[in-house]
Amino acid sequence: MALPLKYNLRNVIVRWRSSMATVLGIAAVVAVFIVLRGMARGLEASSGNTGDPRNVLIVRKGSQAESGSLVSREHFRTLLYMEEVARNERNEPVISAEVIVMVTAPRRDGSGEANVLLRGLTPRGMELRPQVSLVAGRWFEPGHHEAVVSQRLARRFAGFEVGGTIRAGPTTLAIVGQMDGGGSAFDSEAWLDADEARSIFERDQYSSILVRPRDEAALIRLVKKVEEDKRLTLRAEREVEYYAKQTLTAKPIKIVASLLGMAMSLGAVFAAMNTMYASVASRTREIGTLRVLGFSRRTVVACFVIEGGLLAGFGGLVGCLLSLLMNGYSAGTLDFQSFAETVFQFRITPDLMLLGVAFSVAIGVAGSLLPALRAARLPVISALKAP
Amino acid sequence: MNVLSFIAKNALRNGRRVTLTVSSVAVSCALLVTLQTLQRELTIPPESEGASLRVIVRNKVSLMQPLPARQLSVIERIPGVVAVSPFTFFGGTYAGETVTSFAQFAIDPERFRGLLVEGRIASGDYDDFVRDRTSCLVGADTMTRYKLKVGDRMKFTGTFYPIDPDLRIAAVFAGTVDDRGVFFNHKLLDDVTGGGSTVGTWYLRVASAKVAPDVITAINAAFANSSAEVRAETERAFQMSFMAMLGDVKSLTLSISAVVVFTLMLVSVSTMSMSIRERFRELAVLKALGFRRREIFSFILAESFGLAFVGAVFGIGGTWLFWSHINLQKLSNGFLIYFEVTPRIMAMGGTVAAVLGILSAIAPAIAVARMSVADGLRTLD
Repeated sequence: MALPLKYNLRNVIVRWRSSMATVLGIAAVVAVFIVLRGMARGLEASSGNTGDPRNVLIVRKGSQAESGSLVSREHFRTLLYMEEVARNERNEPVISAEVIVMVTAPRRDGSGEANVLLRGLTPRGMELRPQVSLVAGRWFEPGHHEAVVSQRLARRFAGFEVGGTIRAGPTTLAIVGQMDGGGSAFDSEAWLDADEARSIFERDQYSSILVRPRDEAALIRLVKKVEEDKRLTLRAEREVEYYAKQTLTAKPIKIVASLLGMAMSLGAVFAAMNTMYASVASRTREIGTLRVLGFSRRTVVACFVIEGGLLAGFGGLVGCLLSLLMNGYSAGTLDFQSFAETVFQFRITPDLMLLGVAFSVAIGVAGSLLPALRAARLPVISALKAP
Repeated sequence: MNVLSFIAKNALRNGRRVTLTVSSVAVSCALLVTLQTLQRELTIPPESEGASLRVIVRNKVSLMQPLPARQLSVIERIPGVVAVSPFTFFGGTYAGETVTSFAQFAIDPERFRGLLVEGRIASGDYDDFVRDRTSCLVGADTMTRYKLKVGDRMKFTGTFYPIDPDLRIAAVFAGTVDDRGVFFNHKLLDDVTGGGSTVGTWYLRVASAKVAPDVITAINAAFANSSAEVRAETERAFQMSFMAMLGDVKSLTLSISAVVVFTLMLVSVSTMSMSIRERFRELAVLKALGFRRREIFSFILAESFGLAFVGAVFGIGGTWLFWSHINLQKLSNGFLIYFEVTPRIMAMGGTVAAVLGILSAIAPAIAVARMSVADGLRTLD
């Protein structure tokens, strides 16, 4: 027969001081673990959430990111007249040759400067990215040295509000609008006209080409055609696939989260063990009584393990609640692939919280197993005699 | 039995608890020290005496924006400049690796000779590197990592530039802060830099640290209002600006350290008060025997302080041993290079542990001081 859960619950409450210390300690461990994973999740989400499955992104073979890619104008012209390319209602090919450049700008909080990614693109490029919408001001007009910045970027950089400017050497770009990339990688970009970008930054070549093929079959044909054409030295892949692979920055954070989680949980296991041993020691007589009443050793072990799990699980819940405070927190760091500032939001998702609670219960069980075994092994008679 | 052995006996009488307390303090101290070291690694670039003598000139727009090669003659003539070379980050991948694990730069071999201040040629011949346009100068660490020898070939795939250089190793350098780089002739980039009309950055050495600020001002002024305005800064300032780009990662490490310290405090405070509560009756006996509150407090303090101290020694010392014997550079693929646990960080960890020892003695000491002897003697649990 098992002992009622109420017995464990009351025991935890009666020893509230040491229980609370354990709960808070485990809560801190779980919160750190979840927040770090949530940060990696946020970084992955901003790139994983980018692109349209119908689009194909073309970069130079061998380049790791759009920012390091070069596509010549001849190559662009070759692609422009491929039959696979879709046409819009005005019979224009839906293809955009784009230029990626970088400007160094001061951060708003005074913590130094960082690189901002500027994308020079055409009206087709904007049609190809329906997830980006204008939230303030207006779109840029070619030839007027105007730019539109992402709203999230504007919060991080000084002078990026509508009416502000971006300095690019001797040229200044007037910011005429703000856009919202819907949590995608475009939230870390500023946009301007492609040809204007090429002239300001003295670029002969484009960086990448974004194209919408007519249909799925045309898409597969186009990718194959680009791959096989030896003259093109280009690589074509689905836009979504390209962005899904841009996860280099999240990787070290994930590793740190796991290592830190492991080390901290080790400390938490020691703490839980301490509490549980003390709990067993002060309940020696009680345990003896339970055994005399006929509860088996196994029941006593289960009882203490459940108590440890309960205590830690409660800590895990508190940790989850604490970590929720960070959900949606907007942060920025250096993207290791583009070398520009990437803006992302911490994402504390239900599955991460579940993982955190499971993690805390595991800590509790690991920490209470030895004390529970000790409780079960107590000789009944001497346990009853204990003070 | 003297007082010290009395305290020691008391502290050690529950072996299991001592082990657990010391271990949890040790783990927390280890974490704290590791995090602080990480923070230091991320914020403070490796220091070398040459770093304040070397100046990097980049385009004011951003590091990715090239500079016109014609600027060389202007920079050369600025007083205080001893040597100057083009310095272009190639960023290729080596032997089919998917990420760039060490930097490659295109330079002018003849001019670069004067820039390798702390470095020495460990093997091979620098003159050979100057003569052979398709050869390269490789850092000793990279040589060891890939088991290369002078005369071997290194093949790179360009990620920023559409060329894939195949280079013969002419010479090996060692003794700089970062012996990983690969340097090759800038002429190889001619085809992709408009016939050699642009460079990535300029790398130069000044006569002394004293003239560095003047040289920097002069260079910045020389190209002000030109089509390619520049930003000149010392190598150290340049590295610092790179670290600044990491942004919120720094504050995150700080807050995690704070959480770790907090956890540390909870654990040891709760353990200490647990062990005192267990001994309430004994402490009452001590009181009855005539020991004063102050003396009892010092017993408790000495015990908790001692436990925290031992935990700190194990935790901090262990961490120091661990990080100084592990090749983190290899493990982290070159992301973390030094990861040096400095005396300063160790002292900080020790201070936190000491404060903890004191803090965790206070609550139980107050409880003991408040209790009346009669109550204490009656306590059963």
